[in-house]
Amino acid sequence: MHEYPEPVGKIVLDYLDRLKAQLSSVPGRDQEEFLREIASHVFEAYHREDCGDAVERILVVLKKLGEPSEVVSERLPEAMVNTGRKRQLPLYVLGGILIALFGLPLGFGGVAVLIGALGAVLAAVLAIFATGASLIFVGLLLMGLGFLRTFEPQFWDRLVESGFIHIEGRAAEFLDLISPSGQGALLLLLAAALAAAGLAMLWLGKYLLRGLRFLGGLVMLWVQRAARRVRGLSQSAESSLPHFGRFSMRRS
Amino acid sequence: MAALYAEKHYGYSLVRVLTADGSVSLKEGTIYPILARLHRDGLVQSEWVESVQGPPRKYYLLTRLGRQLFDELSEEFDLLVSLVKQDRQKNRANSADELGERILVRREKNHA
Repeated sequence: MHEYPEPVGKIVLDYLDRLKAQLSSVPGRDQEEFLREIASHVFEAYHREDCGDAVERILVVLKKLGEPSEVVSERLPEAMVNTGRKRQLPLYVLGGILIALFGLPLGFGGVAVLIGALGAVLAAVLAIFATGASLIFVGLLLMGLGFLRTFEPQFWDRLVESGFIHIEGRAAEFLDLISPSGQGALLLLLAAALAAAGLAMLWLGKYLLRGLRFLGGLVMLWVQRAARRVRGLSQSAESSLPHFGRFSMRRS
Repeated sequence: MAALYAEKHYGYSLVRVLTADGSVSLKEGTIYPILARLHRDGLVQSEWVESVQGPPRKYYLLTRLGRQLFDELSEEFDLLVSLVKQDRQKNRANSADELGERILVRREKNHA
């Protein structure tokens, strides 16, 4: 740090660190150059500022320079869109668009909401597949028990005595009314119903995945269009003069 | 762009030039993304120059393309200003004529 008193040096370092954190989406070389330039600006401004003590001076300089989020807010969307397009990261592209449209805090908020929504959808899909698989597993287990009850009733009784199979309450009272082969048939029926439910969930999950893929494709298309628009906007808005220059006012 | 037309500036000196007469108010940090975009579009050229007072400074100057664009824009801007002036003068002249007619009508009424 160039010739700053200790507390001022810490304040400047903290500012540059916060700026660097905001620039994480900007390519490394650009980021380094941008930080060097800002560090140079801070130094110049600090040594020309003549109000109050050292800390007061640096605070005035940084206030005039703007919060890191304000300083990078013009540059970040474009950098994010470019990086996202190069590395094929749709969330980067979408983040850039949201930041360009709604500013840095709201844009990041939008990205967070989007990530949350994506996470929720992913969790729902996983839950459907996990439930389907569990139902099939339980169905197979019950099927085994059903066969056991039908063809090996003595082994079943031994399992009940050893406490491996434990049925209580109304279910036990109901099963006592039925013959062993009837109990086996009931278990097999229940097993078939559970397995069918599990298979149906997996089948539905497959269609859900197809639907999500279609929806994802649509969103990607929209993101690409919006990215092109943001790139166009940022190029025309980067300076009011070139934008104005495209407007011809000549009267015949 | 006008400030960088004939003289090279580094970021801080450019901010001082732009804000010197108090007509432009800006957050100083926002000048850098704009300079970066002008540089990317080939409208300004830049170079790092060592400074005896502190860290190196990055100087900017309009390129030939930048000057050409600035000249075109200046012409269009001058044209726009002249058109606005003409329209304003016409409006003033029209409103003066209307006022004259009203005064004339009132006088005629008073005489009658």
